[in-house]
Amino acid sequence: MSGGFNEIHEAPTTFWSKYIVSYDHKVIAKQFLWYAIFFLGVGGMMALMIRWTLAYPGQPFPIIGKLLLPSTGGVIPPDTYAMLFTLHGTIMIFYAITPLLIGAFGNYCIPLMIGARDMAFPLLNMLSFWFAALSGLILLASLFLPLGGAAGGWTSYPTLSTLIGSPGDGQTLWCLAIFVLGISSTMGAVNYITTVITLRAPGMGYFDMPLTVWGLWLTAILNAIFVPVLGAGVMLLLMDRMFGTTFFLAGASATAGSGDPVLFQHVFWIFGHPEVYILILPAWGIVSDLLSFFSRKPAFGAKATAMSMTAVTILSTLVYGHHMFTTQMSPLLTQSFMTLTMTISIPSAIFFANWLGTIWKGSIRFDSPMLFSLGVVFVFGLGGLTGLHLGTVTTDLYLHDTYFVVGHFHYTMAASVLLGGYAGIYFWFPKMFGRMMNEMMAKIHFWGTMIPLNGIFFGMLMVGYGGMHRRIYNPFVYDSLKRLIPINEMITISAILMGLFQIVFVVNFLYSLWKGKKAPSNPWNVGTLEWTIPSPPVHHNYDEIPVVKCGPHELGNPNLKNGRDFQYQTEELVKG
Amino acid sequence: MNFLNYGLSTSWFELSKPPLDISTNGHLIDSLWEYTTVLAIFYFVLVCIGLFGFSYLYSHKRNKTPYYTYGNKKSHLMVTALIGAAVFLSVDLNIARVANNDMLNVFWNYPDPKKEEVLRVQVMGQQWMWSFRYAGPDDQFGTADDIVSINDLRVPAKTKVLFHLTSKDVIHSFFVPNVRLKVDTIPGRITRVWWDANVPGTYDIACAEMCGTHHYLMKAQLTVYEKDDFNQWLATSAHIAKTTNDPADKNLQWGWKWEN
Repeated sequence: MSGGFNEIHEAPTTFWSKYIVSYDHKVIAKQFLWYAIFFLGVGGMMALMIRWTLAYPGQPFPIIGKLLLPSTGGVIPPDTYAMLFTLHGTIMIFYAITPLLIGAFGNYCIPLMIGARDMAFPLLNMLSFWFAALSGLILLASLFLPLGGAAGGWTSYPTLSTLIGSPGDGQTLWCLAIFVLGISSTMGAVNYITTVITLRAPGMGYFDMPLTVWGLWLTAILNAIFVPVLGAGVMLLLMDRMFGTTFFLAGASATAGSGDPVLFQHVFWIFGHPEVYILILPAWGIVSDLLSFFSRKPAFGAKATAMSMTAVTILSTLVYGHHMFTTQMSPLLTQSFMTLTMTISIPSAIFFANWLGTIWKGSIRFDSPMLFSLGVVFVFGLGGLTGLHLGTVTTDLYLHDTYFVVGHFHYTMAASVLLGGYAGIYFWFPKMFGRMMNEMMAKIHFWGTMIPLNGIFFGMLMVGYGGMHRRIYNPFVYDSLKRLIPINEMITISAILMGLFQIVFVVNFLYSLWKGKKAPSNPWNVGTLEWTIPSPPVHHNYDEIPVVKCGPHELGNPNLKNGRDFQYQTEELVKG
Repeated sequence: MNFLNYGLSTSWFELSKPPLDISTNGHLIDSLWEYTTVLAIFYFVLVCIGLFGFSYLYSHKRNKTPYYTYGNKKSHLMVTALIGAAVFLSVDLNIARVANNDMLNVFWNYPDPKKEEVLRVQVMGQQWMWSFRYAGPDDQFGTADDIVSINDLRVPAKTKVLFHLTSKDVIHSFFVPNVRLKVDTIPGRITRVWWDANVPGTYDIACAEMCGTHHYLMKAQLTVYEKDDFNQWLATSAHIAKTTNDPADKNLQWGWKWEN
């Protein structure tokens, strides 16, 4: 299994080769982590500006408003508002969550957890980060154009995103940035898939891999298949914008032949629905592992969980049409997409049952990674169940494009993934940086995130059901929506609170980085491979490639007599 | 902090209820929503009982020795499979069946103007307004006597109204919360929607699909008249159209021949 290219590379000596163009998966993971945290801050600030506008339309954004928008005295105008929600979506999905879950944890965890010295293709890995950096730069540069950045929504449906609706170069740069990021993601995905297949330590079968690796691996497979589809879509859009083609133009404005704007929606959602699972699968994997580790017992039905995640991965490729019910596809397609969408709840119900089975009769430690993992179970429950209303054609006719959708996908994609990401950061921080994070601050951060988060997203479900539609600058031009002002105000205040509590995280992160307590090699007492080596690991990870003899969740075995309640994966399973 | 005042006077759940249902079929959507929600709450409560209950019962303080199991005993597998099957049978199959029936028998079962009394209206979305077109006395669309209005849709109560919609520039979405329906208007395509409203009054029509900077201002007013009042309005409008429609005005000429 471990291929011939798992040899020890010499450690780099210069600053340039060690920190900038590093080939080391651990350094690249940290690069992605910083990148993600930076963009989380940018996207979060945009979210606050959006929320401010929705609760207090026409009032200047406090403190930094005058600085950012001097010409309007700090009031966010409608065109800037459109740009903000477009870039909030784009940044959070592609530049914050993706690099955090896939870039940082994927890079850090996969080689360490399967007992490899590095990724299969270190050069590709380095390029993957620098393409992502280039893409981020292009996107940020678009903000400084005369007409501003892209403003057609993160979905950028034509014909709004063609020259008919978006004459500014911001949309062009958006397409370019997404295309370049697609290159980065595809390179990463190919690398992860190959690494998992070829570099697993001797003795490690697929079901001996931690579920984190399962999640990341399935994500990589989806990425490799579907990100190129998005790349093709935005490339066609780019050609419509720059070279006069008419792939997506139709109607009165299509003076040079006619294409079809709905075609883009098909291409976009063939990618876009798997993308939801691309983001959530790593979080599911992390949560499945952490629930077991902190309950001090094996993951309940680990094999079934892995199989369910695989089933969801496959099904996720077959359901994208539920995003397009209101475009009136043929009834046959609509029926098929609705029915297939519904079947996703079978595997989802199975791994929910397994998560609860894992903590059942455990001996639960409520350390911060565990709190965040339990939080994921809670918010993903809400997010998943509200999907039922939207996967159903008739209720979707009312709910489509309302805040109900916004609440639903924030519960699944934002809340669950963010909490899963925090769980991962608190869990692997000691391994990454060799220091412990402050537990007290972590707990404050958890409750300060969890409570306002539900205020925000449950509030969104409520106003959505009340009929408030998405992406409107001032909902209260509609008399019928004026009654929703108080709930919108509650959402905004929750958002500000949640934003403030993220400062606790940043302070904790930076403080612990330099001043945190030194971490032992195995602070959480778990047995997966990365905890058998020092924190932080040496450049080549493993002096000797470990030989795996048991599964990743050997905790609470009553036959253990050596004073530990867990076994390392390198130890022979103790039987009674 | 005016949200506190509101919060005390009216419950937020009252506020977040959808607007008045004025159509004969909107209750199908409302009742399916309620059914789905009740089941969702049921399963979410189960999850919470597990989550909070187990967290309480099996915390490290209360339970020192965890139960060493892989969850692969027959009884474990049975419970897991049962949960999966229960969710699928009680929730998914049921709501998919109801939705499928409602879709085929009602919402996409468009009335046939040749066989029954149906008011036909053509709708065109554009940045950022809605245009509506009635056939006029000659019963043909795209002719000089068409009645055309902007952001002002008037329909009779207790009559089926069938809309054919398109868009001039970008994709819009024709959203009438009070009948619980929305449909995209797409350049180069004609989409359809129909309803039967039965409560006279005035209501909001919104654009639900992001269509540019002033998306939020793309609203129209829906007036539902009693039948007699509607006929009177239609006659007056036909007269006005006949006397004032300017055949040279390009903005009036967007209609198309009605085909089923």
